[in-house]
Amino acid sequence: MSWDSKLIDRAKEIIELYPQKRSALGPLLYLAQEKEGYIDDDSVVEISKLIGITEVQVRSVASFYTMYKQEPSGKYLLSVCKSISCEINNSKEVIDNIKEFTGLANNETDIESTFTFEEVECIGACGGAPAVQINYETVEGVTPTKALELCKYLKEEVPEVIVADELQDKFGGTKSFDWAIEDNSGTSSTAPGFQIIGTSEEK
Amino acid sequence: MSENIKFTVNGNELEAKSGELLIEACENSGIHIPRFCWHKRLEPVGMCRMCLVEVETPRGKALVPSCTTEITEDLVVETESEVVTKAQEGILEFLLINHPLDCPVCDKAGECPLQDQTMAYGPGESRFVEEKRHFEKPISISEIILLDRERCILCARCTRFSDEISGDPLIEFIQRGNKTEVNTFPDEPFRSYFSGNTVQICPVGALTSTSYRFKARPWDLKKVSSTCNCCSVGCSIELNTSQNKMLRILGEDNEFTNQGWLSDKGRYNFDYLHSENRVLNILNKSEDSFNEISISEAMAKIKNKIDELDNPNVKFLLGSSSTNEEYFVINEIGNYLNKDKFLSRDSSNIYFGDDLLFEGYFGDQYSQAKLEDLDNSETIVVWAEDIKDNLPILYLRIKKAVKNGSKLIVFGHTNTSIAGLADFYFGADIVSNKFELIRNPNEIEDLKNNIEGKKVTVIAGKSTVFQKKESLDKLINFLNEKSELQVFNAFSKGNTFGALQNIDEVKGLNEFCNEFDTNAKNIVFTIGVNPVNSSFFGQKIKEKLIASDFVISLDLFVNETTELADLILPTTSLGEKEGTVTNMEMRVMKQNKILPAPGSTLSEWEYLTSILNVLGEDVNYKNENEINNYLSEKYINQEKLPTFDNLNKPSNLFGVINKKDININIKDLEEDNFSLLMVRRLYGDSSTQINSPSISMLGAHKFIELNSITAKKYGINSKVGNLIQGPNSILINIDINEYLPDDLVIAPINRRGFENIDPCLDFDITEAKNREELNVN
Amino acid sequence: MKETLLLTKHMRENPENSHLIDVYEKNNGYSAARKVFKENNPGDVIEEIKTSNIRGRGGAGFPTGVKWGFLAEDEERYLVINADESEPGTFKDRILLERDPHQLIEGIIVTSFASNISKAFIYIRGEYAKPARRVQDAVEQAYEKGYLGKNIFDSGKDLDVVVHLGAGAYICGEETALLNSLEGRRGEPRLKPPYFPAVKGLYNKPTLVNNVETISSVPWIINNSGKDYAKLGVEGSTGTRIFSLSGHVNTPGNFEIEMGCSFGEFIDNFGNGIKENKSVKAYIPGGASAPWFTGEQLDIKMTIDDVANAGSMLGSGAVVVMDEDTNLVLAAKSIVSFFAHESCGQCTPCREGTTWLEMILERIASGRGRTSDIDLLLDVCDNISPGLAWPPQMTTICPLGPSAVSPITSLMGSFREEVESLLPKKVLINNE
Repeated sequence: MSWDSKLIDRAKEIIELYPQKRSALGPLLYLAQEKEGYIDDDSVVEISKLIGITEVQVRSVASFYTMYKQEPSGKYLLSVCKSISCEINNSKEVIDNIKEFTGLANNETDIESTFTFEEVECIGACGGAPAVQINYETVEGVTPTKALELCKYLKEEVPEVIVADELQDKFGGTKSFDWAIEDNSGTSSTAPGFQIIGTSEEK
Repeated sequence: MSENIKFTVNGNELEAKSGELLIEACENSGIHIPRFCWHKRLEPVGMCRMCLVEVETPRGKALVPSCTTEITEDLVVETESEVVTKAQEGILEFLLINHPLDCPVCDKAGECPLQDQTMAYGPGESRFVEEKRHFEKPISISEIILLDRERCILCARCTRFSDEISGDPLIEFIQRGNKTEVNTFPDEPFRSYFSGNTVQICPVGALTSTSYRFKARPWDLKKVSSTCNCCSVGCSIELNTSQNKMLRILGEDNEFTNQGWLSDKGRYNFDYLHSENRVLNILNKSEDSFNEISISEAMAKIKNKIDELDNPNVKFLLGSSSTNEEYFVINEIGNYLNKDKFLSRDSSNIYFGDDLLFEGYFGDQYSQAKLEDLDNSETIVVWAEDIKDNLPILYLRIKKAVKNGSKLIVFGHTNTSIAGLADFYFGADIVSNKFELIRNPNEIEDLKNNIEGKKVTVIAGKSTVFQKKESLDKLINFLNEKSELQVFNAFSKGNTFGALQNIDEVKGLNEFCNEFDTNAKNIVFTIGVNPVNSSFFGQKIKEKLIASDFVISLDLFVNETTELADLILPTTSLGEKEGTVTNMEMRVMKQNKILPAPGSTLSEWEYLTSILNVLGEDVNYKNENEINNYLSEKYINQEKLPTFDNLNKPSNLFGVINKKDININIKDLEEDNFSLLMVRRLYGDSSTQINSPSISMLGAHKFIELNSITAKKYGINSKVGNLIQGPNSILINIDINEYLPDDLVIAPINRRGFENIDPCLDFDITEAKNREELNVN
Repeated sequence: MKETLLLTKHMRENPENSHLIDVYEKNNGYSAARKVFKENNPGDVIEEIKTSNIRGRGGAGFPTGVKWGFLAEDEERYLVINADESEPGTFKDRILLERDPHQLIEGIIVTSFASNISKAFIYIRGEYAKPARRVQDAVEQAYEKGYLGKNIFDSGKDLDVVVHLGAGAYICGEETALLNSLEGRRGEPRLKPPYFPAVKGLYNKPTLVNNVETISSVPWIINNSGKDYAKLGVEGSTGTRIFSLSGHVNTPGNFEIEMGCSFGEFIDNFGNGIKENKSVKAYIPGGASAPWFTGEQLDIKMTIDDVANAGSMLGSGAVVVMDEDTNLVLAAKSIVSFFAHESCGQCTPCREGTTWLEMILERIASGRGRTSDIDLLLDVCDNISPGLAWPPQMTTICPLGPSAVSPITSLMGSFREEVESLLPKKVLINNE
């Protein structure tokens, strides 16, 4: 589906932030990710028109980065870190539990489009290993048991907005450092919650 | 600018220019450094790491890629040390771990840099025992190019060529790391006029062409250098044949012209040489069909006809695929018939088959440009037919010059394809829909500021046959006065300049129609030209030919023009004859013979000489060489004669530039009212193209171009529609082109279906009722 | 031993709202910015940074003052803050972004003033969504107060700051790859020469690329002095650094210290030893790219030069501790696998070699190794990083390839038996 005028206006505002149009490619791809849950061909065509590069050049950049999904993703992106600190702190069991609960292998989405599961590299939460992200909201110190509870919660409660602090309270454990600041912000899509791309939500 | 500096390689002192790349400097000194991603004509990227060498640095020896290292004073280099040798083995082992064992079925085998360098620099065995990566193989990335991603070594030569050189970045790297592959966007195939170049520069068999796949092994091929005749840039090519069949054409690196590149038309348009539709024996018209006769019968027939027709007008319609030698003989026979044989006729009887030919800008007051002038120009000005479509390599040279800092000014409306490249594009407010210059060049600030006192190269040609010369004169004279001007006359067809140099007076197709006296006796020769199909005057010419008393066609195929002939004399074509051709720089270059003349074909000069003989003129050329000696003498610069001997010398392999007087006698058309702007596209329905199955499908696309306001006026919202004129209705793609002015609609002249469209009559465009998409494109 | 708080002082003193501009200002915030505009001498600012001897906190440790001095003259110059923290084990920039974004912004203002820059970008990795939101809020607060935008601090100068999200590519932490990514391209490192950012950086213009922690240190240096900063720490590693400690310690976290103590002291003091009282088998001193030290090497000092001399690097300041029961082959494989996934794919040795190394380690770890695999691993490593030396030589475009070699040389260097125990035993025939 092509972009409506509101989205195009948003895109043009973002383009204005940069000295050269092409720099806006990153944020525009997030707009597509938020809209469709992945970078679909129609969005590539729109973006290529807005930026002035060919479609394959857009796809070339999009497919380089892991956060731009090339295939449809579910409502909740479950990212489990498997880099060194998490690996030596039993991330494997967390991964196995989630795989069993969701029935998904790495980079797979379930039929109901509820979950997409992925094993990811270091998310900067090494002090709170093992760590996971739900739609790029970090939850630290997630034990294998808590991981299952987290998945169940998502499946049953189907929260609209994912808020890291909330999930940390319910399912998290050791943190990398004291988060200290009370924060109700989060995201409602598989694009990271960020003001410039309009994906930041409050609960 | 760059002085010679000394540097040391493997203990030997060498010299190079400061700033030159180490890999190139070594190459020039006979030291070969292996490489994959580096190519002389592309920006170096240092990606494959095969060219690593050791250099001395203040901190000891360091491994650096020689393709990105510049020569500096006293640089000390080792290309054969243990560290380098181990690195080379390592890189080759890495490249081969995922490379499939395809050699037995791969086109590239035998001329493969990966094979060669593995033999020369590689480890004896691979230690990889894991699973290689797999891709579906091969995949079509366009109608004529296939990609095998398993073979690809990700050197990025193809993607860099498409981005840097041709400006069609339709292939790119997808994914990252070990999963990287080259690919296209779905529904956006690698449709570039230059895609074939990527096949030539791919260092493995990842990119192959449908034209050459599985046809031969390189050790089977006979090879000879020649010059392409598709347009008047005259690219240097290498012809590859096997068992007397032309199998492949490659681009040769001629520093002055194509620098290694070819358009896909120049590269792949040769299947027709062996087409079963090719006329191989003399065809004689009797009743409404042709029967084969011998050469003696044909000559007898011609003599009888000429004797029978008391004092006939004999006229020649010429194409652009003859060699200089053939044009020379045509001129001889033309003069003979006009002045010696029949009542003295002072006016020329030779007409050249290019609607866009006109007087041009020759003589002492205009300096004729060379392609290298583009690189030295501060500003390049273009007013001509579509350069990308009709002079594709000229477009590449312009793009290169712009990349290196030249400014580009483009006048509308037939060069919208390079509007994006231009610094200034002058559309509707400067050029009218009738191609008049509606503002004084002196008052166009952007033009004046960028040409006054500067080195300028102008590419000057008519955009349409209806265009009056006056506007172009205004522009050229302004440029000539105010700047240091070099002029390209943008006559784009093949050996046009060879014709202009060797024919005393050249007239146009309009003159042919106007001077044709239906009351007189007329004999018409058509030589390698199909105006009934390709000319605006086609319908009129058809009538004249039908009204002629005798028509003799020297050509390759039965087509819209030759089918009207009384005699078709089948001629030789590319690779089947030796000769010279002249390009738009007045550079004379060699064409060489590698194939025998098929069937009973003869060269044009052989037929014409025979005709001269039967008419009583004692002329006997032994071979092309002899003709060439005669025509060479007439060049102005006697030190640089384009004799075969001279052209075969190593110092002249890129051709010699020389001048002759040029006499074009073509006037503007009286009418300038056209309703549909019909233009020539690179791929079309010429007889050679429709008989070359490798690429004939590329000329099937039917379209019109117009801007969105014009589309709205016609009430069109869709991408598919009907072009309707009288009883004719063509299903077309509708391409919106915002560079076009309002109310100007462009249609191709050389596409099947458009033969009956008259640019002067009214037309309508409607949306397609059933939204079926065209099969091709 | 105690922490020395410079960077983390404000956030500790005002934990609940250290991110708000009013709270920051009340705590002496933006005084460095006001100071430099008042004194109006950019050269002095650069001198102060040079005197501090602060070295880049991203991983390369290049002297910051020298880097600022290299910036070429041009009307169009840029400052890019590298907040792409992705080195496994590292989470120190995260706390600065989340809890004291205004310190960074003030650092940006001072840096931009010193180098006559009017446009700055903060490139934050996409996975740091919450930190990015905090920074964006802080930027907007600064704009509102006239500290960013046009005529900041009534100085007549402009400064625009754009927060740009990355999208999941570790290689974008490499400065030239980051610039490519910021230009809307694939995050592929550029060749140096000629693309030294100080000369040909963003959009081919002179660009300063600095780490979050480095620029966050600037306000303190200006408010106090370069000399005072140089008094902290030791020579060659002046000032304070935030070290991220993780792995099998009891209390992981970020700790800001002056450099000079040993790793053992650090782990005991701040990590409170190993969980379940186990011993240290091996530890990584500076992020996943760094070669390992063994449990016998805990006395090595935490300075850039000491670690370099001992054959590794202090890198991003991330200490990962592995206890005696850690399967080091799996640990090495995890790290090699990381680099294989993050390889950009431009150059042959890294693209093919890192994945090959991963495959061999996978076979070994799952019991399908061959006796020849150890030599094969080391030779493949040698083809990526000739000589297996430290500091590494490379056949690659950037150091990512050689980084993948670190865990393998560490594994084979100090823990070879652990690998051999997974390989088939050589079968001795009678006559041997």
